[in-house]
Amino acid sequence: MKLSYRYEQTSARLQLEGLPDVSIGQGEQVLGILTSWQLTLAGRPELEGKREHLLALIQVVLPYARHLVSDVPRAFGSATSPVAIEPKGPGHRLLLRSSQPDTEPLDLQLDDAELADLVRCLDQARLDWRVQLPLALPEAQPLKRRELLVRVPLAQRLAAPIVGAAAVALTASLALMVPPPRPTPPPGASTAPTTPAEPPANGPR
Amino acid sequence: MPEDTTSTLPAASRPTSGPASAHAMPLPRRGLERLDLLLLCVEALDLNGGEAMIWMSEQLGFATLFPNRVELWKRRCTNPLRRATRRGQLEPLESDALIRILCAMAERLYPLLRQLLSSNEPESVTAERWGLFQARLADLVAERLNLRRGGVQRLLHAEQGHQLARQLVRALSLSAGVGGFERLRASLLDAPA
Repeated sequence: MKLSYRYEQTSARLQLEGLPDVSIGQGEQVLGILTSWQLTLAGRPELEGKREHLLALIQVVLPYARHLVSDVPRAFGSATSPVAIEPKGPGHRLLLRSSQPDTEPLDLQLDDAELADLVRCLDQARLDWRVQLPLALPEAQPLKRRELLVRVPLAQRLAAPIVGAAAVALTASLALMVPPPRPTPPPGASTAPTTPAEPPANGPR
Repeated sequence: MPEDTTSTLPAASRPTSGPASAHAMPLPRRGLERLDLLLLCVEALDLNGGEAMIWMSEQLGFATLFPNRVELWKRRCTNPLRRATRRGQLEPLESDALIRILCAMAERLYPLLRQLLSSNEPESVTAERWGLFQARLADLVAERLNLRRGGVQRLLHAEQGHQLARQLVRALSLSAGVGGFERLRASLLDAPA
Protein backbone atom coordinates (compact mmCIF):
# COMPACT_ATOMS: atom_id res chain seq x y z
CA MET A 1 0.00 0.00 0.00
CA LYS A 2 1.46 3.32 -1.05
CA LEU A 3 1.82 5.90 1.70
CA SER A 4 1.96 9.66 1.28
CA TYR A 5 2.71 12.10 4.10
CA ARG A 6 2.60 15.85 3.67
CA TYR A 7 4.15 18.54 5.89
CA GLU A 8 2.94 22.02 5.17
CA GLN A 9 3.77 25.54 6.19
CA THR A 10 2.80 28.86 4.68
CA SER A 11 5.53 28.91 2.03
CA ALA A 12 6.83 25.35 2.04
CA ARG A 13 5.34 21.94 1.49
CA LEU A 14 7.19 18.66 1.71
CA GLN A 15 5.58 15.46 0.52
CA LEU A 16 7.04 12.02 1.09
CA GLU A 17 5.82 8.94 -0.73
CA GLY A 18 6.79 5.39 -0.09
CA LEU A 19 5.97 2.00 1.30
CA PRO A 20 6.31 0.18 4.58
CA ASP A 21 9.25 -2.18 4.72
CA VAL A 22 7.38 -5.36 5.54
CA SER A 23 10.60 -7.41 5.46
CA ILE A 24 11.53 -5.89 8.82
CA GLY A 25 7.99 -6.00 10.14
CA GLN A 26 7.02 -2.33 9.79
CA GLY A 27 3.36 -1.49 10.33
CA GLU A 28 0.97 -0.35 7.62
CA GLN A 29 1.33 3.31 8.53
CA VAL A 30 5.12 3.33 8.64
CA LEU A 31 6.98 4.67 5.66
CA GLY A 32 10.19 2.67 5.52
CA ILE A 33 11.02 2.80 1.81
CA LEU A 34 11.02 6.23 0.20
CA THR A 35 10.00 6.11 -3.45
CA SER A 36 9.84 9.86 -4.08
CA TRP A 37 9.69 13.23 -2.39
CA GLN A 38 8.66 16.69 -3.54
CA LEU A 39 9.47 20.01 -1.96
CA THR A 40 7.46 23.02 -3.05
CA LEU A 41 8.62 26.48 -2.03
CA ALA A 42 6.12 29.22 -2.85
CA GLY A 43 6.88 30.87 -6.17
CA ARG A 44 9.72 28.46 -7.00
CA PRO A 45 9.90 25.35 -9.14
CA GLU A 46 9.04 22.08 -7.47
CA LEU A 47 12.03 20.08 -6.28
CA GLU A 48 12.25 16.33 -6.19
CA GLY A 49 14.91 13.72 -5.91
CA LYS A 50 16.13 10.55 -4.32
CA ARG A 51 16.46 9.75 -0.66
CA GLU A 52 20.11 10.87 -0.72
CA HIS A 53 19.08 14.32 -1.89
CA LEU A 54 16.54 14.68 0.90
CA LEU A 55 19.16 13.56 3.39
CA ALA A 56 21.63 16.10 1.96
CA LEU A 57 19.00 18.83 2.28
CA ILE A 58 18.37 17.95 5.92
CA GLN A 59 22.07 17.68 6.72
CA VAL A 60 22.73 21.15 5.36
CA VAL A 61 19.65 23.20 6.25
CA LEU A 62 19.17 22.09 9.85
CA PRO A 63 22.76 22.69 11.04
CA TYR A 64 22.59 26.08 9.27
CA ALA A 65 19.44 26.89 11.25
CA ARG A 66 21.15 25.72 14.43
CA HIS A 67 23.98 28.21 13.83
CA LEU A 68 21.50 30.97 13.06
CA VAL A 69 19.85 30.53 16.45
CA SER A 70 23.25 31.31 17.97
CA ASP A 71 23.58 34.23 15.56
CA VAL A 72 26.63 32.69 13.89
CA PRO A 73 25.61 32.34 10.26
CA ARG A 74 28.02 30.33 8.13
CA ALA A 75 27.91 28.37 4.89
CA PHE A 76 27.13 24.66 4.87
CA GLY A 77 27.67 22.22 2.02
CA SER A 78 30.80 21.87 -0.08
CA ALA A 79 31.25 22.90 -3.70
CA THR A 80 30.48 19.35 -4.84
CA SER A 81 27.63 18.44 -2.50
CA PRO A 82 24.12 18.36 -3.95
CA VAL A 83 22.88 21.02 -1.53
CA ALA A 84 24.61 24.08 -0.12
CA ILE A 85 23.33 27.04 1.86
CA GLU A 86 24.97 30.28 2.89
CA PRO A 87 23.97 33.69 4.19
CA LYS A 88 23.49 36.22 1.42
CA GLY A 89 22.44 39.79 2.05
CA PRO A 90 19.49 39.91 4.41
CA GLY A 91 18.46 36.37 3.45
CA HIS A 92 19.84 32.95 2.64
CA ARG A 93 21.03 31.40 -0.60
CA LEU A 94 20.07 27.77 -1.14
CA LEU A 95 21.95 26.12 -3.97
CA LEU A 96 20.69 22.79 -5.34
CA ARG A 97 22.91 20.92 -7.78
CA SER A 98 21.27 18.42 -10.06
CA SER A 99 22.80 15.00 -10.60
CA GLN A 100 21.86 15.31 -14.28
CA PRO A 101 24.79 16.34 -16.47
CA ASP A 102 24.84 19.82 -18.02
CA THR A 103 22.18 21.12 -15.67
CA GLU A 104 22.73 24.46 -14.02
CA PRO A 105 22.36 24.47 -10.24
CA LEU A 106 19.13 25.93 -8.93
CA ASP A 107 19.85 29.08 -6.98
CA LEU A 108 17.12 30.08 -4.50
CA GLN A 109 17.08 33.18 -2.33
CA LEU A 110 15.06 32.65 0.85
CA ASP A 111 14.09 35.21 3.46
CA ASP A 112 14.04 34.42 7.18
CA ALA A 113 10.35 33.46 7.14
CA GLU A 114 10.76 31.07 4.22
CA LEU A 115 13.79 29.48 5.85
CA ALA A 116 11.84 29.01 9.10
CA ASP A 117 9.00 27.35 7.14
CA LEU A 118 11.44 25.02 5.40
CA VAL A 119 13.13 24.13 8.68
CA ARG A 120 9.76 23.32 10.27
CA CYS A 121 8.78 21.06 7.37
CA LEU A 122 12.09 19.18 7.53
CA ASP A 123 11.83 18.86 11.32
CA GLN A 124 8.31 17.50 11.07
CA ALA A 125 9.33 14.89 8.51
CA ARG A 126 12.48 13.94 10.39
CA LEU A 127 10.75 13.53 13.73
CA ASP A 128 7.52 11.95 12.52
CA TRP A 129 7.24 8.51 14.11
CA ARG A 130 5.53 7.25 10.93
CA VAL A 131 8.62 7.99 8.86
CA GLN A 132 11.27 5.38 9.64
CA LEU A 133 13.93 6.52 7.19
CA PRO A 134 17.55 7.13 8.11
CA LEU A 135 17.04 10.90 8.20
CA ALA A 136 18.36 11.38 11.71
CA LEU A 137 20.92 14.04 12.48
CA PRO A 138 23.40 14.07 15.33
CA GLU A 139 21.96 15.90 18.33
CA ALA A 140 22.49 19.66 18.22
CA GLN A 141 25.57 20.62 20.22
CA PRO A 142 26.60 23.88 21.88
CA LEU A 143 29.04 25.84 19.75
CA LYS A 144 32.65 26.02 20.83
CA ARG A 145 34.41 29.24 21.68
CA ARG A 146 36.29 29.44 18.38
CA GLU A 147 33.04 29.03 16.43
CA LEU A 148 31.55 31.98 18.27
CA LEU A 149 34.49 34.29 17.62
CA VAL A 150 32.91 35.61 14.43
CA ARG A 151 30.19 37.15 16.58
CA VAL A 152 32.75 39.44 18.21
CA PRO A 153 34.02 42.22 15.88
CA LEU A 154 37.65 41.89 14.81
CA ALA A 155 38.63 45.18 16.46
CA GLN A 156 37.14 44.04 19.75
CA ARG A 157 38.82 40.64 19.46
CA LEU A 158 42.24 42.19 18.80
CA ALA A 159 41.94 45.01 21.35
CA ALA A 160 43.01 43.02 24.42
CA PRO A 161 46.13 41.37 22.92
CA ILE A 162 47.22 44.61 21.26
CA VAL A 163 46.85 46.62 24.47
CA GLY A 164 48.67 43.86 26.37
CA ALA A 165 51.56 43.75 23.92
CA ALA A 166 51.80 47.55 23.91
CA ALA A 167 51.90 47.61 27.71
CA VAL A 168 54.71 45.05 27.79
CA ALA A 169 56.68 46.96 25.14
CA LEU A 170 56.22 50.26 26.98
CA THR A 171 57.29 48.78 30.30
CA ALA A 172 60.33 47.17 28.70
CA SER A 173 61.41 50.41 26.98
CA LEU A 174 61.00 52.38 30.21
CA ALA A 175 63.03 49.78 32.04
CA LEU A 176 65.82 50.10 29.46
CA MET A 177 65.96 53.88 29.96
CA VAL A 178 66.73 53.56 33.64
CA PRO A 179 70.55 53.72 34.07
CA PRO A 180 72.16 50.67 35.60
CA PRO A 181 73.35 51.19 39.18
CA ARG A 182 77.07 52.04 39.65
CA PRO A 183 79.13 49.30 41.21
CA THR A 184 79.63 50.03 44.89
CA PRO A 185 82.97 49.21 46.54
CA PRO A 186 82.90 46.40 49.02
CA PRO A 187 82.63 47.51 52.64
CA GLY A 188 85.99 48.27 54.33
CA ALA A 189 87.86 48.69 51.06
CA SER A 190 87.50 52.50 50.89
CA THR A 191 90.55 53.29 53.25
CA ALA A 192 92.98 50.73 51.85
CA PRO A 193 95.52 52.00 49.26
CA THR A 194 94.84 50.87 45.81
CA THR A 195 98.51 50.91 44.66
CA PRO A 196 101.54 49.68 46.56
CA ALA A 197 103.46 52.48 48.39
CA GLU A 198 106.73 53.57 46.84
CA PRO A 199 109.51 55.30 48.71
CA PRO A 200 109.76 59.04 48.03
CA ALA A 201 112.44 59.97 45.53
CA ASN A 202 113.95 62.68 47.80
CA GLY A 203 113.65 60.87 51.03
CA PRO A 204 116.47 60.47 53.68
CA ARG A 205 119.33 58.33 52.59
CA MET B 1 -3.74 28.95 5.93
CA PRO B 2 -2.36 25.49 5.25
CA GLU B 3 -2.92 22.87 7.85
CA ASP B 4 0.05 21.97 9.95
CA THR B 5 0.10 18.18 10.09
CA THR B 6 1.75 17.75 13.44
CA SER B 7 1.69 20.98 15.31
CA THR B 8 -0.65 21.10 18.20
CA LEU B 9 0.76 23.02 21.13
CA PRO B 10 1.57 20.21 23.55
CA ALA B 11 2.95 18.06 20.74
CA ALA B 12 5.22 20.84 19.58
CA SER B 13 6.81 21.09 22.97
CA ARG B 14 7.00 17.38 23.65
CA PRO B 15 10.50 16.00 24.10
CA THR B 16 11.76 14.50 20.87
CA SER B 17 14.54 12.33 22.13
CA GLY B 18 14.34 10.99 25.65
CA PRO B 19 14.51 12.97 28.86
CA ALA B 20 16.28 16.16 28.01
CA SER B 21 17.41 16.86 31.53
CA ALA B 22 19.30 13.61 31.98
CA HIS B 23 22.49 14.93 30.40
CA ALA B 24 21.80 18.63 30.69
CA MET B 25 24.25 21.17 32.02
CA PRO B 26 23.32 24.39 33.81
CA LEU B 27 22.98 27.37 31.51
CA PRO B 28 25.94 29.74 31.46
CA ARG B 29 25.54 33.42 32.18
CA ARG B 30 24.96 34.39 28.56
CA GLY B 31 22.44 31.60 28.16
CA LEU B 32 20.46 32.92 31.13
CA GLU B 33 20.49 36.39 29.61
CA ARG B 34 19.29 35.19 26.21
CA LEU B 35 16.60 32.95 27.66
CA ASP B 36 15.09 35.84 29.60
CA LEU B 37 15.42 38.20 26.62
CA LEU B 38 13.56 35.71 24.43
CA LEU B 39 10.83 35.47 27.05
CA LEU B 40 10.68 39.28 27.10
CA CYS B 41 10.24 39.20 23.31
CA VAL B 42 7.32 36.83 23.75
CA GLU B 43 5.76 39.27 26.19
CA ALA B 44 6.34 42.10 23.73
CA LEU B 45 4.60 40.13 20.98
CA ASP B 46 1.72 38.98 23.14
CA LEU B 47 0.19 41.59 25.42
CA ASN B 48 -1.08 38.80 27.62
CA GLY B 49 2.20 36.92 27.42
CA GLY B 50 2.85 36.74 31.16
CA GLU B 51 -0.47 35.03 31.82
CA ALA B 52 -0.02 32.83 28.76
CA MET B 53 3.29 31.57 30.16
CA ILE B 54 1.62 30.51 33.40
CA TRP B 55 -1.10 28.75 31.43
CA MET B 56 1.44 27.09 29.19
CA SER B 57 3.49 25.97 32.18
CA GLU B 58 0.42 24.19 33.56
CA GLN B 59 -0.43 22.72 30.16
CA LEU B 60 3.07 21.28 29.81
CA GLY B 61 2.96 19.75 33.28
CA PHE B 62 5.36 22.10 35.04
CA ALA B 63 2.94 23.06 37.82
CA THR B 64 5.15 21.39 40.43
CA LEU B 65 8.26 23.25 39.23
CA PHE B 66 6.50 26.61 38.91
CA PRO B 67 3.45 26.39 41.17
CA ASN B 68 2.69 30.10 40.83
CA ARG B 69 3.78 33.16 38.93
CA VAL B 70 6.17 34.24 41.67
CA GLU B 71 8.22 31.06 41.29
CA LEU B 72 8.33 31.52 37.55
CA TRP B 73 9.37 35.13 38.06
CA LYS B 74 12.14 34.12 40.49
CA ARG B 75 13.64 31.75 37.93
CA ARG B 76 13.62 34.46 35.29
CA CYS B 77 15.39 36.81 37.69
CA THR B 78 18.56 34.68 37.43
CA ASN B 79 19.22 36.81 34.35
CA PRO B 80 22.25 38.92 35.35
CA LEU B 81 20.88 41.85 33.33
CA ARG B 82 17.79 42.20 35.57
CA ARG B 83 17.35 45.15 37.88
CA ALA B 84 16.66 42.78 40.74
CA THR B 85 18.84 39.86 39.76
CA ARG B 86 19.12 36.71 41.85
CA ARG B 87 22.43 35.00 42.42
CA GLY B 88 23.00 31.43 41.42
CA GLN B 89 22.19 29.26 38.45
CA LEU B 90 19.08 27.55 37.25
CA GLU B 91 18.88 23.83 37.78
CA PRO B 92 18.97 22.00 34.43
CA LEU B 93 15.43 20.76 35.05
CA GLU B 94 14.21 24.33 35.57
CA SER B 95 16.04 25.73 32.57
CA ASP B 96 14.70 22.92 30.37
CA ALA B 97 11.19 23.67 31.59
CA LEU B 98 11.61 27.37 30.79
CA ILE B 99 12.97 26.53 27.33
CA ARG B 100 10.00 24.23 26.68
CA ILE B 101 7.59 26.98 27.73
CA LEU B 102 9.42 29.40 25.44
CA CYS B 103 9.31 26.99 22.49
CA ALA B 104 5.61 26.37 23.01
CA MET B 105 4.98 30.12 23.15
CA ALA B 106 7.03 30.56 19.96
CA GLU B 107 4.90 27.90 18.31
CA ARG B 108 1.77 29.75 19.39
CA LEU B 109 3.12 33.07 18.11
CA TYR B 110 4.66 31.65 14.94
CA PRO B 111 2.27 33.45 12.54
CA LEU B 112 3.26 36.78 14.12
CA LEU B 113 6.97 35.94 13.99
CA ARG B 114 6.60 34.98 10.38
CA GLN B 115 4.90 38.25 9.51
CA LEU B 116 7.76 40.18 11.08
CA LEU B 117 10.42 38.22 9.20
CA SER B 118 8.75 37.94 5.82
CA SER B 119 9.99 40.11 2.98
CA ASN B 120 6.78 39.52 1.02
CA GLU B 121 4.70 41.76 3.25
CA PRO B 122 4.28 45.43 2.27
CA GLU B 123 7.23 47.40 3.61
CA SER B 124 5.14 50.02 5.36
CA VAL B 125 3.14 47.36 7.19
CA THR B 126 6.31 45.51 8.20
CA ALA B 127 7.90 48.73 9.42
CA GLU B 128 4.83 49.52 11.47
CA ARG B 129 4.84 46.03 13.02
CA TRP B 130 8.52 46.30 13.89
CA GLY B 131 7.98 49.74 15.36
CA LEU B 132 5.20 48.48 17.58
CA PHE B 133 7.15 45.41 18.64
CA GLN B 134 10.31 47.34 19.40
CA ALA B 135 8.42 49.97 21.38
CA ARG B 136 6.85 47.29 23.56
CA LEU B 137 10.17 45.50 23.96
CA ALA B 138 11.91 48.76 24.89
CA ASP B 139 9.23 49.44 27.53
CA LEU B 140 9.69 46.00 29.04
CA VAL B 141 13.47 46.28 28.93
CA ALA B 142 13.42 49.73 30.58
CA GLU B 143 11.04 48.48 33.25
CA ARG B 144 12.83 45.26 34.17
CA LEU B 145 16.47 45.37 33.16
CA ASN B 146 19.42 47.27 34.55
CA LEU B 147 19.90 50.22 32.22
CA ARG B 148 23.51 50.73 33.28
CA ARG B 149 24.56 47.47 31.63
CA GLY B 150 26.11 47.74 28.17
CA GLY B 151 24.05 44.85 26.82
CA VAL B 152 20.82 46.54 27.86
CA GLN B 153 21.88 49.89 26.40
CA ARG B 154 22.58 48.17 23.09
CA LEU B 155 19.05 46.77 23.11
CA LEU B 156 17.66 50.28 23.47
CA HIS B 157 19.98 51.76 20.85
CA ALA B 158 18.17 52.83 17.68
CA GLU B 159 20.22 50.83 15.15
CA GLN B 160 21.81 48.09 17.24
CA GLY B 161 18.49 47.57 19.00
CA HIS B 162 16.72 46.76 15.75
CA GLN B 163 19.43 44.33 14.72
CA LEU B 164 19.35 42.60 18.11
CA ALA B 165 15.54 42.46 18.11
CA ARG B 166 15.60 40.88 14.66
CA GLN B 167 18.11 38.27 15.83
CA LEU B 168 15.87 37.44 18.78
CA VAL B 169 12.76 37.15 16.60
CA ARG B 170 14.62 34.94 14.12
CA ALA B 171 15.86 32.72 16.95
CA LEU B 172 12.27 32.46 18.23
CA SER B 173 10.99 31.47 14.79
CA LEU B 174 13.60 28.71 14.51
CA SER B 175 12.80 27.52 18.03
CA ALA B 176 9.15 26.88 17.23
CA GLY B 177 8.09 23.44 16.10
CA VAL B 178 9.10 19.93 16.93
CA GLY B 179 12.86 20.34 16.56
CA GLY B 180 13.04 23.79 18.12
CA PHE B 181 13.73 22.73 21.69
CA GLU B 182 16.96 20.87 20.89
CA ARG B 183 18.19 23.73 18.73
CA LEU B 184 17.47 26.43 21.27
CA ARG B 185 18.84 24.50 24.24
CA ALA B 186 22.10 23.80 22.40
CA SER B 187 22.33 27.48 21.50
CA LEU B 188 21.80 28.62 25.09
CA LEU B 189 24.58 26.26 26.19
CA ASP B 190 27.12 27.81 23.80
CA ALA B 191 30.56 28.43 25.21
CA PRO B 192 31.17 31.98 26.43
CA ALA B 193 32.67 34.03 23.60
